[in-house]
Amino acid sequence: MSILQAILDGLLIGGVYAVISIGLTLVYGVMGIVNFAQAEFLAIGMFVAWFAWAFLGLDPVLAAPLSFAVAFGIGWVVQGQLIARVLKAPSVAQIFLTVGLLIVIENGSLLLFGSQFRSVTTFYQTMSLSLGPLFISIPYLIAFGMSLACGVALWWFMRASWFGRAMRATAQNPAAAQLMGIDTDLMYKIAFALGVGLTAFGGAVILPYVTVFPGVGGQFVVLMFTVVVLGGLGSIAGAVVGGLTVGVIQALSSLFFPIQLQNLVLFIVFILVLAVRPQGLIGASR
Amino acid sequence: MNRRTLLSGTAAVLAAPFVLSSARAAAPAVNVGVIMPLSGANAQFGINARNGIELVADEINGAGGIAELGGAKINLIVADATSTPTTAGNVAQRLITQQDVTALLGAFVSSLTIAISEVTERRDIPLLTMSFADQITGRGYQNIFQVVAKASVIGKAQFDYTAAIAQAAGTKIEKIAIMYEDTAYGTAQANGLRAGAKAANVEVVMDDAYPLGIADTTPLINKLRGSGAQAVFPVSYLNDSLLIIRTMRQQKLTIPAIGGAAGYVIPDFEKGLGEFAENVLSINTSNYDLAPDLTDRFRRRFGYFMVHEALEHAVCLEVLVQAIRKAKSAKAEDVAAALRGAKFTGGWINGMTGGAVQFDQTGLNVLSVPLMVQWRGKDIVTVWPKDIAKSAPVWRS
Amino acid sequence: MKRFLPLALLILAAALLPLLLDPRGYWIRVLTFTLLFAAMAQAWNIVGGLANQTSLGHAAFFGIGAYTSTVLLLKFGISPWLGMLAGGALGGVAALVIAIPTMRLQGHYFALATLAFGEVMRVIANVWTSLTGGPGGLSVPFVPPSFAAYSFKLLRPHAYIALAALIVVTVIFEMIRRGAMGYRLRAIRENAPAAEVIGIDTTRVKLQAAVISGVLVAMLGTLYAQIAVFFDPDTVFGIASISIRIALIAIIGGVGTAAGPILGAFFIIPLEESMNALLSSRAAGLSQLVFGIILIAVILWRPRGFITVIDAFRARLSRAVKP
Repeated sequence: MSILQAILDGLLIGGVYAVISIGLTLVYGVMGIVNFAQAEFLAIGMFVAWFAWAFLGLDPVLAAPLSFAVAFGIGWVVQGQLIARVLKAPSVAQIFLTVGLLIVIENGSLLLFGSQFRSVTTFYQTMSLSLGPLFISIPYLIAFGMSLACGVALWWFMRASWFGRAMRATAQNPAAAQLMGIDTDLMYKIAFALGVGLTAFGGAVILPYVTVFPGVGGQFVVLMFTVVVLGGLGSIAGAVVGGLTVGVIQALSSLFFPIQLQNLVLFIVFILVLAVRPQGLIGASR
Repeated sequence: MNRRTLLSGTAAVLAAPFVLSSARAAAPAVNVGVIMPLSGANAQFGINARNGIELVADEINGAGGIAELGGAKINLIVADATSTPTTAGNVAQRLITQQDVTALLGAFVSSLTIAISEVTERRDIPLLTMSFADQITGRGYQNIFQVVAKASVIGKAQFDYTAAIAQAAGTKIEKIAIMYEDTAYGTAQANGLRAGAKAANVEVVMDDAYPLGIADTTPLINKLRGSGAQAVFPVSYLNDSLLIIRTMRQQKLTIPAIGGAAGYVIPDFEKGLGEFAENVLSINTSNYDLAPDLTDRFRRRFGYFMVHEALEHAVCLEVLVQAIRKAKSAKAEDVAAALRGAKFTGGWINGMTGGAVQFDQTGLNVLSVPLMVQWRGKDIVTVWPKDIAKSAPVWRS
Repeated sequence: MKRFLPLALLILAAALLPLLLDPRGYWIRVLTFTLLFAAMAQAWNIVGGLANQTSLGHAAFFGIGAYTSTVLLLKFGISPWLGMLAGGALGGVAALVIAIPTMRLQGHYFALATLAFGEVMRVIANVWTSLTGGPGGLSVPFVPPSFAAYSFKLLRPHAYIALAALIVVTVIFEMIRRGAMGYRLRAIRENAPAAEVIGIDTTRVKLQAAVISGVLVAMLGTLYAQIAVFFDPDTVFGIASISIRIALIAIIGGVGTAAGPILGAFFIIPLEESMNALLSSRAAGLSQLVFGIILIAVILWRPRGFITVIDAFRARLSRAVKP
């Protein structure tokens, strides 16, 4: 019975892990860049949603599109000015550029917003649903629902819209895409901005139960990368599967092992999965 | 950027500290180094601590400085310890070598303080701190001075006071739960809690550490729900404290929660929980309501109540200045000698329990007693021990 | 003979430098850590540069080394020099343990698997309190100063030991690079399937590189323990404080070259310290912000590392000299 509760909790929180990580895998999939600063856009999304709540009285879930928009804008500029310049550089240079960006955003937030811990109070924060003996936390349920909506919207965008198909073409073969008349520079901008925007959207969605402060991004970096790599870098379905898997592993491990070891268990499973499937759970074989 | 600009820029950057420090040497000031985590996860606490120190320094300077040294002003040299002990040690060494500091104050986080103390001990510079890991005063060092009680004592008090409060309300505590974040702070206090429970023959039905930065406390609360504990003792920073209390509410768990300071005693706790913060108890190492005439000055200047790390660091500076006055010297070794084994009273020291600070041979202030506070509205009120309580505790079982 | 002159001068200058600095001062401490991190980055360079596998988990080996020698000292009174050898051996074993499951991983997958491994070690150190002291950390016990006990009153001997370590690791790096193993690693880097075809046992070569790197970094962990005298799991197993830092140092300097890690260390560490000295008192976070901006600027300016500046300079010199 407690196993059922654990799986349920794991799936709910896993859905949230998925929505904040989808952007990371999108950026990698289209541009081949591992963006260490991705989690900082999570923080940006959380800050925007918090200010919308504090000054406009908007529920964070409703403010999520605003977070998306702000992060999209910042991402657009960052891609054009910084990322674009290292697209041809060795991948280690790309990675460490994003590390530099992480440092800049985190400390910039500290300077701009101050160090205090900000959280929101919403009417549904301490509510839960009872399904027989099972508890379902309402904030998690809402976050899960938003993640689902987000995932579906992204899937539709990538499949059905012209932009989506153009981005996939650019990811598969940039030279051929250019020959087909696609402006690959524009595609990279959209992919990056969209990717960080999605993560920021996720940030707003989790604000009801995570306190925001300048260093909050750093707490999610390793988790996001675990989700994305476990599922398969570049695969959106992979991010979803990865997120749910990570959530369930954490929740189940807390039943059988001390809670303190939940990340240990997760990382060991992670390494073993990669040992058996080097491309991740859903990633394409090489 | 061409090569020349880069080279001259680097030269300027490297030379600057020397230029700046010689300019400052004009006035006969007393240099006091303040090393706090001003960036990273503990920035909030580091900034609070710095604010407390600045308040006292400005007051003393405004009143004419240190008379015994001809009105010498206190010159605070503030530096970021960052989150890495190695860097904290480097910063301490830099302040000692380049800024000729009389003493250092810092660094909130025990691991940073220990790293700094390795440097100060070898250079015979006194270090005053409110970090409370047992190791800090447990190494026989001569130049470390801790103004609050040790972690194991705080943890034990967290349990003992709770048992006493419950008893006064007619409840006997027999089963408790302990949960703590797994850094040095949480682990040390949990040790104290366990010792307290053992001494009182109380059963610890749940005893779990969790990783700092945990995103989902549901497994913890699920376990708590099933454990049958009558009270839970969470030792947490802010994010986890909010998660724990909220998840308890979600699962309709109403047993009393007695926090372990840190996240439970800062304004952000009440801002995050609103009405759910009401009557939450927490252990604390000091509290602003013991000396409101002093601590109100902090609230007026900075806009929030004087959190314990700010108060305790203010006391550190007050003690340091009194030692300087006693020694009539700003030389580190003279001041250290004046601090060792000595008792100090007056000024900001009225904010500490017992109204005085008395260091023993290990550098520990033996007069500091933990106290239990309780949230009432937007304030935390001292409710135990009875002789210093400002209000009777409310115990909902 | 003339080729070695600049190198010999450099080593001479490096050997004299600690003598010029105040032995109780700040810059000798910065120099010591700079040399230590340069050595660590150089050891990383064997895997990250020659084998082209960006490891983000080298803190695992570093921490194993620091804890092994310190625990042996605390529990059995064993000299840190012997503890260093034991730590090195354990570091090599750990390198084997992580190299085997990650053998087939490419690029970013490898990086993140190694990062996970580093975290695994950190959590183990944090949880296994009876062995490691847990999150409270360990203090190297005070012993009267002597070389045999690896205990010194001042930092200067530590600086010389770090310098010696850097030279040793650099020599090992160069020997690998110029030798048969380097040739094989290059072949694997260029085209792994082709390398297999011509008979290179890619698994064995990669394992060898990983183990050598792991052993060296673990031994350097002991140096750190003796210099800093106190550490906890976050300090020696830290992602940001160790793993990412040494990779960054090697990359900023020029990954895959012997001079790269040295250039990188002498840039990054003094820069961090200077930023802290200048800016940290003004506003919280300012010093780190400026550091981050400079980092981004440097990477944009020279994505392949500072070594390219020196190469360009040398090329210009030789063009100027040629008739």
